[in-house]
Amino acid sequence: MSQAGKLPLFQQYQLQFSAHIRNPDAVARPQRVSAERMRVYRDLVFDNLDATLGACFPVCKQVLGKRRWRQLIRSFLVHHRAASPLFRQIPEEFLGFLQTLPEIAGSPELPPFFNSLAHYEWVELAVSAAEAPNIPADVDSAGDLLQGYPVLAGALMLLRYAYPVQRISPRFQPQAPLQTPVDLLVFRDAADQVRFVELNAVTARLVALLQTQTLTGLQALEHIAGELAHPQPQIMIDFGSRVLADLRAQGAIIGVRRMAV
Amino acid sequence: MSRLADIRGAGLGLKRELVPRIQAAWGSPLIASIDFLEIAPENWIGAGGKSASQLAWCAERCPLVCHGLSLSLGGPHPLDEVFLQRVRHFLDTHRIPLYTEHLSYCSDGGYLYDLLPIPFTAEAVHYVAERIRRTQDILGRRIAVENASFYVAAPIAEMDELTFLRAVLAEADCDLHLDINNIYVNSVNFGYDPHAFLRGIPAERIVYGHVAGHDRQADDLIIDTHAQDVIDPVWDMLRQAYTDFGIFPTLLERDSNIPPLDLLMAEVDRIAALQQACSANTKAQAVTEDMQL
Repeated sequence: MSQAGKLPLFQQYQLQFSAHIRNPDAVARPQRVSAERMRVYRDLVFDNLDATLGACFPVCKQVLGKRRWRQLIRSFLVHHRAASPLFRQIPEEFLGFLQTLPEIAGSPELPPFFNSLAHYEWVELAVSAAEAPNIPADVDSAGDLLQGYPVLAGALMLLRYAYPVQRISPRFQPQAPLQTPVDLLVFRDAADQVRFVELNAVTARLVALLQTQTLTGLQALEHIAGELAHPQPQIMIDFGSRVLADLRAQGAIIGVRRMAV
Repeated sequence: MSRLADIRGAGLGLKRELVPRIQAAWGSPLIASIDFLEIAPENWIGAGGKSASQLAWCAERCPLVCHGLSLSLGGPHPLDEVFLQRVRHFLDTHRIPLYTEHLSYCSDGGYLYDLLPIPFTAEAVHYVAERIRRTQDILGRRIAVENASFYVAAPIAEMDELTFLRAVLAEADCDLHLDINNIYVNSVNFGYDPHAFLRGIPAERIVYGHVAGHDRQADDLIIDTHAQDVIDPVWDMLRQAYTDFGIFPTLLERDSNIPPLDLLMAEVDRIAALQQACSANTKAQAVTEDMQL
């Protein structure tokens, strides 16, 4: 309050007004303000966040149930200060808040997979709205995937989760992480549709190498064969060339460059 | 280069779900009365993919207005100047000639994503006017501020809403985005005469107007949801505004409970018809005055 004491009266009032909206149990409304009218603002702000976050995180909301979900939204309002003016980034603010949750005393108990699931639900929004450059002129959509440098879709994320996030529901709530994490490729195709592809570990490694944009398809596959000390690298290359063709057919690879970037 | 004069006639607020319907109806008589579209920059800045192509499609065909939500002109924390630079870039990129914001606040060091009221005090007038000036400097253009709807009267207020609004506009030397529905909402929520309020508006500053519907919660409480049709008293006030002040570009806001496009367009058509009727009256009056000379 020492800071607030120096502020003009109208700003002291505004800060108390919003502090009460955030945390009505702990902060009184400004003096002589109607309780009934103040409730209008409390409900508007809370319901707006509930609707926005519920739309982005429907499975998170389902697995928590209404009561715990509302506790979590309240905790978000009380403890988080959103830095983004863009409404589209409210879900990202929520992910940031979840990261800080363990430090907040008395915060609602969440299932162990909750942050992974929230991230997975957010990814669809993030990839659908990601800014991506137009396809560069030097990318040949039909080029040779082994001899050229494969180019990935502009809006694309390669993700690894400790829980089988894509299968979680109120009826399936794993309490322990997987022995082998799940690798997912999420990208926006040419028709601006977001697509999710589950990858095996070798394909995930291949995509990660292609993201560096420094290797031809063949070099990337040889690199992996080396990492695995594969006794017959040609088998890896034959397998890999089919994987590359498949990724191109799905739209995750948009073409090839003749030269590294 | 787009100019403020490109924004005229009647317009429709562009919600994302409306874009496919407008694209499908483009060029048909159904939407012929749409002269411009309005977007919230906070929903479109920095968005790629489908959003980016939808925005480009609209910007190619139709003048656009930006009606902001997050600037927090009346907020206790410093203006987000990084955001304002992004707004400027966005306006320039899409050649958007008009940016308006609410006379309210929405951040207390963190965004609340809703509009909260500014207490009507003399200190607040100076503070908000200075922030509007700074905003105009950064954007390199005049902005218009909108009279906002609200639900709580600040007991510390030193003046009424109209006095506050007029003082801010004069001290900031900015334009007015006149929201007719908000006058009506506040007149019910705080028990004043909306027509008297309207008569006190500084006509010379009006560049843009809004009409919208709302939800009546009680005899003395309206929530400004933009989720219903515009009610007749608001249409009457729009007519009064055109008659008293002359015609200004006016937009229909509809944010939820969105009806089929033909029903929505009936309200945009009604804006256009009122403008035509009032413009014909004004011309007739001018002719009469000429003859008297």
